[in-house]
Amino acid sequence: MPLWFIRGLRRGVVTTRYPARRDDSAACLPTPPAFRPRQLTIQAADRMVAVCPSAALSRRDDILVFDVGACTACGKCAAVAPDAVAQSEDFELATTARSALIKKIPIRGGER
Amino acid sequence: MSPSPDQAEAAAGRLRDTIAAQFGRSLHIRTLDTGSCAVCEQEIRLLSAPHYDLNRLGFFFTPAPRHADLLLVTGPMVRAFDGAARKTYEAMPGPKVVVATGACALGGVYPKDPFVHGNVGEVLPVDVWIPGCPPSPLALLQGLAVAVGRLAERIPGLTFIADGGAA
Repeated sequence: MPLWFIRGLRRGVVTTRYPARRDDSAACLPTPPAFRPRQLTIQAADRMVAVCPSAALSRRDDILVFDVGACTACGKCAAVAPDAVAQSEDFELATTARSALIKKIPIRGGER
Repeated sequence: MSPSPDQAEAAAGRLRDTIAAQFGRSLHIRTLDTGSCAVCEQEIRLLSAPHYDLNRLGFFFTPAPRHADLLLVTGPMVRAFDGAARKTYEAMPGPKVVVATGACALGGVYPKDPFVHGNVGEVLPVDVWIPGCPPSPLALLQGLAVAVGRLAERIPGLTFIADGGAA
């Protein structure tokens, strides 16, 4: 008999907490990209902005603006710039402020 | 007479406490599809499956907005649905929480045009945003826990910059 059932009977608490440990199945999920600023060039950033189907990426001078809320984790940015993009493996992204989902990625690659 | 910003902030704080105290372990959810492709709905349905089992966390689905505490909205908010969305929201008893679910609802997939608002926030006052296309059931559970104040948000700490390139 599962331990939580006995614990529930004893304490009278019928609900449980959100899983405390990371779920292994997360590794199989497509997750939003994480970027490597040193490998990220202006040209690569522009290629990624051009292929992003949900307009989650835009470039402002040497900053790549990434709207995590708009990202569909399709992987097209990783396909056009495989060196500069990795899986973030973060999927617990809920927020009460929409602006918290907009991330600024510095572009440090290329010639200076 | 409109309240001052301080009074409004204090009232908002009281409301948040109320939500945590009243909904912490018993929250009824009504889903609202505003033109989604139905994959978000598939993931929402999976919440009832034994692996995720949202009932153990004190969340329940209800068929009627009049019984609901939380409105789980999917889709890009098609304009034809405006009236129904407002009616659903108004039919819910207060205090109530609106959760926008999926990239469409957050303004990602469809730009604003004559057919869709492209963002749930245009029509309803959204309290929690859950990204993902679709958000996995665990992401939805985390979003619900954030909505009732049982879990802190992780997103402010995330940079989406991969290791080795942070400097």
